Amino acid sequence: MCVMGKPLNKAFESLGKGNYGGVWVPLFNRSGSLLQEQILDAGNAWRIALEETAAALPLAQEDIDLLRDFGELLGKSDRDMQHAVLAMEKEKVSALERKAKEEAETTGKLYRNLGALLGAAAVILLI
Amino acid sequence: MEKVRHLHALDRISSYLPDRLKRVVSRMDPGKAAGLEELRINAEMPLVGVFSGFDCFIAADGSFTCRHDQAFRVGREEVEELFYRLCEHSVYAYQDDIARGFLTLKGGYRAGICGKAVYQGQTLKGFKDISSICIRIPRELKGCAEPIFPFIRAGRHDICNTLVISPPRCGKTTLLRDLCRIISTGSEAADFAGLRTVIVDERSEIAACYRGVPQNDCGPRTDVLDGCRKAEGIEMALRGLSPAVIVVDELGTGQDAESIKMAWNAGARIVATAHAYDINDLRERLGFGILIGEGGFERYIVLGIRNGSRWVKVSDAYGNRLYSDQAFRMPDGVFRVHSHGAEMFREAESQAACTSEVQGHPAVPGERDVRNGETVEQGF
Repeated sequence: MCVMGKPLNKAFESLGKGNYGGVWVPLFNRSGSLLQEQILDAGNAWRIALEETAAALPLAQEDIDLLRDFGELLGKSDRDMQHAVLAMEKEKVSALERKAKEEAETTGKLYRNLGALLGAAAVILLI
Repeated sequence: MEKVRHLHALDRISSYLPDRLKRVVSRMDPGKAAGLEELRINAEMPLVGVFSGFDCFIAADGSFTCRHDQAFRVGREEVEELFYRLCEHSVYAYQDDIARGFLTLKGGYRAGICGKAVYQGQTLKGFKDISSICIRIPRELKGCAEPIFPFIRAGRHDICNTLVISPPRCGKTTLLRDLCRIISTGSEAADFAGLRTVIVDERSEIAACYRGVPQNDCGPRTDVLDGCRKAEGIEMALRGLSPAVIVVDELGTGQDAESIKMAWNAGARIVATAHAYDINDLRERLGFGILIGEGGFERYIVLGIRNGSRWVKVSDAYGNRLYSDQAFRMPDGVFRVHSHGAEMFREAESQAACTSEVQGHPAVPGERDVRNGETVEQGF
């Protein structure tokens, strides 16, 4: 985005059309079209698009909140600052990802333990 | 037709404006709005409209007034909002333009930016705290150079090295753009075949490229080096684009003059503009003497405004006047100041800043009017 110097609406359009999208395509496309209309700034366009598409995204509320804040700084500064903003957001997302993995592991372990416990209970009950 | 196109341009500019400003602009009398050349939007200051050779304040009801206390006042947040809109909410994408002090918008409009300069070392990186924006509405007046073109033509396949001179805001770039179009396209009326042309458009004013596409018609044989410094652009064009004609705007430095000489040595013709009141004014500038006189430009087109109407004069390198039009007939829209009919406008015209001929610029000694065969004592 910053290297190519594409405006946000075009950048979102490219992201929507590219292979990066997946479940994010509707969010990128909606953000791009809202910005194209020139009525909203980037923060509001991103927020509205996120609200409209959040239901279809496999995210927790905490993740949605983080993504909402991210939009506030989009496009409001020069390339260096935008790089810094994106790096900071990437860091935050990585932290959330680590947390989600830990939770998955913990939950997985719990389920595994629960499974073993239920198996043992079944054995005890049946015998 | 020109008025209609101009109003359409104003509509497109309005789409960038914050709501309150948009309402003011939409209330302007279309007849007067058609003559608007610039819209000056300063934070906490009155809204100013610039017309041909004069300016006036714009009131909240869209009327024009000479009294600033009756004018619509623009809020700081509105200037900021306008700035973000002009940047398509993507400041990083316009960073290089911002560092040069202007943005080129779709349609070829240009917005000058003022604010607090931000330096990184010795380099101007951009501006913050944007305090004012000046939106300039360009005029692509196709055909305005047609009466002049036969005087710079030097055969079916050649033109004279030509310099367009005038004070600011007298139509240099408009004329240059149309000359470029004719040179590139060719002209049956003038028995001219058309030549490969390169525009070195340092300030993106001639072709007004938006995302690589010229927004103005500069002809089918034209390549545009957009945003490129003149000296570098001329060298690049000579090396890689083999132009017959190079078109540049606003020559101003000794280095520019050296580059022009280099292009001449390489066999390319130059059509250029320069800020000046007349040839003598230009000759006295450091480094410019080499372009004037023997071995220099062969045609000089001098433009000016007198009492709101434009005049144009063409002379050769020896000061012989080849063409003169005291009421230069650019297409409808340039005489717009006369069509308003309002007293305020006429009064303002008489106080116009750009009245070079009224102020009396230096004469060119011995200048002769070739058409009338008489020596002209006064300057252009």
